[in-house]
Amino acid sequence: MTNSISCVEQTGCILLIGSNTTEQHPLIGTRIINAVKKGMKLIVADNRKIRLAEIADMHIRLENGTNVAFLNGLMHVIIKEGLADDEYVKTRTENYDELKAIVEEYTPERTAEICKITPEEVVNAARMYSAPEAAMIVYCMGITQHSHGVDNVKSCANLAMLTGNVGKAGTGVNPLRGQNNVQGACDMGALPNVYTGYQKVVDEASRAVFEKAWGVENLPGNVGLTVTTAINAACDGQLKALFVLGENPMMSDPDQHHVKTGLENLDFLVVQDIFPTPTTALADVVLPAACYAEKDGTFTSTERRVQRVRKACDPPGKARQDWEIVGDIAKRMGYDGLTYNSPEEIMDEITRVTPIYGGMQYDRIDQVGLQWPCPDREHPGTPFLHKGTFKRGLGLFGPASYMPPMELPDEEYPFLLATGRCYFHFHTGTMTRRTRLLDREERFPYVEINLDDAKRLGIYDRFPVMVSTRRGEVKALARVSDVVVPGHLFMTFHFEEAAANALTNNALDPVAKIPEYKVCAAQVRRAS
Amino acid sequence: MKRAKTEELKTFFESLSDKYDLRVPVKLHDGTRVLGSLSEGEFAIEGGKIPQKPTSVFFPQFDEMFVVTDGDVAMAKPPAKPIMVVGMTAEDLDCLEFIDKFFAENFRDNIYYNKRDGSVVVGVSGRCGKDGEFMKIAGGKCDIELISDGECFIVHPYTDKGEGLVEKLQADECGCGGVHMEALRKESDALPKEDEETVDKASELIRQGKVTDEFWDEIATRCIACTSCNLACPTCTCFEVYDRERDGKMVRQRIWDSCQLDGFMREASGHNPSGKQLQRTRRRIHHKLAADVERWGHRTCMLCGRCDEVCPTEIGIKSVCREIVKRFS
Repeated sequence: MTNSISCVEQTGCILLIGSNTTEQHPLIGTRIINAVKKGMKLIVADNRKIRLAEIADMHIRLENGTNVAFLNGLMHVIIKEGLADDEYVKTRTENYDELKAIVEEYTPERTAEICKITPEEVVNAARMYSAPEAAMIVYCMGITQHSHGVDNVKSCANLAMLTGNVGKAGTGVNPLRGQNNVQGACDMGALPNVYTGYQKVVDEASRAVFEKAWGVENLPGNVGLTVTTAINAACDGQLKALFVLGENPMMSDPDQHHVKTGLENLDFLVVQDIFPTPTTALADVVLPAACYAEKDGTFTSTERRVQRVRKACDPPGKARQDWEIVGDIAKRMGYDGLTYNSPEEIMDEITRVTPIYGGMQYDRIDQVGLQWPCPDREHPGTPFLHKGTFKRGLGLFGPASYMPPMELPDEEYPFLLATGRCYFHFHTGTMTRRTRLLDREERFPYVEINLDDAKRLGIYDRFPVMVSTRRGEVKALARVSDVVVPGHLFMTFHFEEAAANALTNNALDPVAKIPEYKVCAAQVRRAS
Repeated sequence: MKRAKTEELKTFFESLSDKYDLRVPVKLHDGTRVLGSLSEGEFAIEGGKIPQKPTSVFFPQFDEMFVVTDGDVAMAKPPAKPIMVVGMTAEDLDCLEFIDKFFAENFRDNIYYNKRDGSVVVGVSGRCGKDGEFMKIAGGKCDIELISDGECFIVHPYTDKGEGLVEKLQADECGCGGVHMEALRKESDALPKEDEETVDKASELIRQGKVTDEFWDEIATRCIACTSCNLACPTCTCFEVYDRERDGKMVRQRIWDSCQLDGFMREASGHNPSGKQLQRTRRRIHHKLAADVERWGHRTCMLCGRCDEVCPTEIGIKSVCREIVKRFS
């Protein structure tokens, strides 16, 4: 998030797009509910009738995959009606002319046609978002998990900058992170192109810092593979060995058959996890790891806040700390530099080589965490980014044109299938499906289908149906309601017995390589 | 009666740790007050009620019922040492009195009474609440009550067991001939009764059928089904039973359940008499303020306020009662 969670209490309007907040970030969802009660305007731009849609000032059910058109449509109205923050655009941004030229084509009528909404919705949402002194964009995977996810994110940033909503309290472009420490993992360079604190591996000066700190020479300067392209490379035989830590790609990556082919094609697969999963089942070596309650360290929250986590109990059996396992493997491969005595010692190294974490020593985050950038011990942390100036100087408008998703419904597969998570399970269910009351709450794989479609196809609530795509077929129980619009299906990817990712499309965003989980073409019929 | 300093109480409890499984208020590293042993944190008798429900010492979140090994059944046994719980407020003691009654009704729940029988319960009251506020004096329902006068604690035993224990306490006699205690009692009696009146009034309105489903629907819309209200409530006694097999043993366990979950009343067929959030939200409040009044002759919300404190959307029982009274009386 560019801003803080508490900004929800300081904003006049939230444009919530592609986030089922009460289910996936319930505490932030709660703050939104309370803010609405106090008069904050809420625009929910989401195809599904999520909980927040019921209390929103506007619920816009745009077609999945049309976010760029929708956001361009809003900007078109904002520019046409003189609602932009001209002073901000002039002094804080660049490339405005190109943005203006591109959004010019997105009249309310054209936008409405692409998004399958009304022109009035476009106009009203533009007016509502641009009216208050401070407005926030809050988004989640509904924005990113597309073959044009980067364009979606850029369009959110364009809209925020156009209205002067970056760099002050109660504003910003605010992605909600989907795991307790995914922000921390990215911050620590668990990405193919950066070291800690987003220091680029292609940058010689960055490499020099780490070569010195680690006492090594010639650190590689080439960018590695992303998760999704690694699986492709395994299928092609280009990738020979894979070390998976705390992931379950057999359940979480797109096109399960393709993933299985890739993993089976490897010479050597190591999986480090806390429970057996469909991925550990394919592994040559399984390393048992400690879970969150069994470790000391830090987690970094969605608002960039680095927070201490303390061990509540010992890990069972032979399970060990992730850092100990990795350190030992490095040692056996001939490098002693990854051997530490404690997580605090690791944090000390992090603070030495990571400017944005420079002042995050354990004694400073003992009770309350700090938000990065926090470059030195005197720095109080940063509640919102880009105050006064952007990191690159001027904010760059990166306009995008609407591109349709890679696979759209057709005669053979007439439904649009989107996947996601439900309230009671987390991700691939490795933990929550082992938790009695949570698993009782959602026991069976299900597919949401609209009442009209169900009636037409003779499908009844809780009846088994077959859902199929060009990749595969699974059996699930129908959940008939108005949560999804006609022509759409929604499934969660928690269930091993009906893996939604047996159906999804391995179409990737050209830049971020994130898969298109939110749109593929599917068919549904009664299971006989 | 004896009048003990905090440090003297700590020494007293420490001296009992050989004989009892001590659960005293301690402050953890992050500032949270919990019930635990003196080795787990700093003794923290002052500061008001413990955020976690104190009845969990007798009815814990997970509890083993029996173990089956090769066809032999071993029932859960009483703990090796009896439990001594310190720090229950007057409201907590009302809750404990109720769940004692609940777990003895129809049949005696041995798993509960294994822990409850032989236990020692120590209440706390007076001028040692959060930020020094005065906490209601229970005047009974426990073995010993520690009543703070702002400096020390008057140690008031109510049972023979309590008296026997207090004899071992190294502290001076109060020596005021009861004057001191009388003043504290008056202060306790003069505490505001707004919450009690509001909840009683709401209970009456619900029982008179004046609270509409539209109201419950509105409250239900705000529920995020986190189940914190149930998990924090000292009079919530619902549990789910399940079996776990491990190392050739089958262990039957019980675990706290929540009426705010869809699976709580869902039948095997999939039919659910409480299948909507509205019904579940209404049930949570109805149960304690209407159904239990019929069954037990009194409401079973004892006004401890924990559900109000943990609810992220401000629909704890007192908040809802305030809205009911405002709208329907």
